[in-house]
Amino acid sequence: MTPIIEIKHITKEFRVLNRREGLRGSLQDLFSRNYKIVRAVDDISMEIGQGEIVGYLGPNGAGKSTTIKMMTGVLEPTSGEILVAGSVPYRSRTKNAGQIGVVFGQRSQLWWALPLIESFRLLKDIYCIPDAAYQEMLDFYRSLMDIEPLLHKPVRQMSLGQRTLSDILAAFLHDPKIVFLDEPTIGLDVAMKARIRTLIHALNREKHTTVILTTHDMGDVDALCRRIVIIDKGRMLYDNDITHLRGFFGAYRTLKVRMDGDLAAQAAVIRKELPDCSVTADEEWISVLVNEEQARVLDVLALLQKTHDIRDMQLQEISTEEVIKKIYEEGVQ
Amino acid sequence: MEHRSLRFYLRIYGRILAQDLKSKMSYRADFIISTIGMLFTNIAGFISFWILFGSFPSIGGWRYEEILFLYGFSLVSLTPVQCLFDNNWNLRSSVYSGDFIKYCFRPINLFFYYQSEVFDIKGLGQLAFGIGTLCYAWGKLGIAVTVLSVLRTIIFLCTASLIMVALQNAAAATCFWIQNSFYVLDFVTRFKDYARYPVTIFSPVFRFLFTFVMPIAFIAYYPSLVILRPDEVPLLSWLSPLFGIVFFYLSYRFWMFGAMRYSGTGS
Repeated sequence: MTPIIEIKHITKEFRVLNRREGLRGSLQDLFSRNYKIVRAVDDISMEIGQGEIVGYLGPNGAGKSTTIKMMTGVLEPTSGEILVAGSVPYRSRTKNAGQIGVVFGQRSQLWWALPLIESFRLLKDIYCIPDAAYQEMLDFYRSLMDIEPLLHKPVRQMSLGQRTLSDILAAFLHDPKIVFLDEPTIGLDVAMKARIRTLIHALNREKHTTVILTTHDMGDVDALCRRIVIIDKGRMLYDNDITHLRGFFGAYRTLKVRMDGDLAAQAAVIRKELPDCSVTADEEWISVLVNEEQARVLDVLALLQKTHDIRDMQLQEISTEEVIKKIYEEGVQ
Repeated sequence: MEHRSLRFYLRIYGRILAQDLKSKMSYRADFIISTIGMLFTNIAGFISFWILFGSFPSIGGWRYEEILFLYGFSLVSLTPVQCLFDNNWNLRSSVYSGDFIKYCFRPINLFFYYQSEVFDIKGLGQLAFGIGTLCYAWGKLGIAVTVLSVLRTIIFLCTASLIMVALQNAAAATCFWIQNSFYVLDFVTRFKDYARYPVTIFSPVFRFLFTFVMPIAFIAYYPSLVILRPDEVPLLSWLSPLFGIVFFYLSYRFWMFGAMRYSGTGS
């Protein structure tokens, strides 16, 4: 299968003015322009297949938006090649725009004053969607959710959740090959997040649309993405299956035990008993990080029970969130 | 880039316009108040004009009715910029906040898409008022109504509109480079008030400025000479339609150049 998006060694550099401080500095800036080059994206390569949902992750300022802007044709890479559905996005921006859909969680792209159905009709004209395809898509939407309450409401009067739903529906309306979703669930309540995830999942499955999802919400990633790409400081840190990612750190589980007496002192004792595990104590719990490749959690628990009077215990899986956090902090070794 | 036909754009514009009007009418109070406000603005403008010129029989060799003609001419020619290109006023804030990026993802012309979003209905009152003034002055001056004179008026009105639109586009597009472009836009818009007077009443320095630097003399003066004083039309008047088209095209390219350079704020 040929990939729908091919990225080969792209780099994007920006020229940023070195601003000097104070009024004097501002005046100097007016006359001498002292630029420095900032590399926002540094040698990134990837291939994305038709129908994939890819989680594109990274801390703030990692270069995610810049990469997305290059894929959508808004920015031209400084070097390297991008092909989206066989053409170079920056050079054929209009053509590219017809094949993609874009949703920004916080910025609606719909006509503010118009009811959703009118926005849909305008989009139908703009994207030259044939009548039959348009009807079919609306019917498909109806089968997924109750869209009637949305259709006749001006976007301006919608709640944030309704607006995001509408924006997503609008982005998929012309049956694009790729949809870019930038933080689609930001600021939404739990129920609405779940609805939006279900919707994205269904659209991807039925229409086989490639979805590039940037988010800081690991719930989105767990619910939707099989593959994730992590970048930081413009460099690619990770590009693989999400299960593989868990495998990196997933051999670890945290055993938490509660007991009477001074926890810090007891933690010190346990540390001696279990030299292979890292042991920490807070006010309530003693946490033992167990590497399951070396010792089974149940064995550790049995060992502890022999020498300590355990009141309560908890077992924690390491979450995607923690894994990602670890990667942001330490990188992948 | 893929080019779509003019018909395609006209149809889309018609759709957006119809929807926009519909939604504006749904705020009845707002609609009525802004229409009344618009009416008063025009009446006030006219009264100050009337007081000023009513007290003198002529200024710099220009009769009251001729100046009235220029006044009406400038009102009509300013209508397109007010009605169709009003979104230029919002350009600065949408560029500054990063919202402008949303216009970059549609498979249609960016400039068209951006400008189509707002239709300022208030300009229509001005249009009616301008046409009224123009017809009144026309009648008082006793200009013959022939196919040629009407056709000339229409062509030169379009010319004047193009120049005003071009000035505003260029001024608005400065926001792609500088932060405080509001002042540039405001400056240009204020200057258009001078457009309704014959440039010959200004000093030579301003005459030069208004012709070659900030070409507002083309908004009413040079074009209307063709109708008002057909015997002494300078070459600049005949050339003004060409200027209008060239200016408009250049301002469009400048606007698009800025927009393409725009990379949005981080998100």
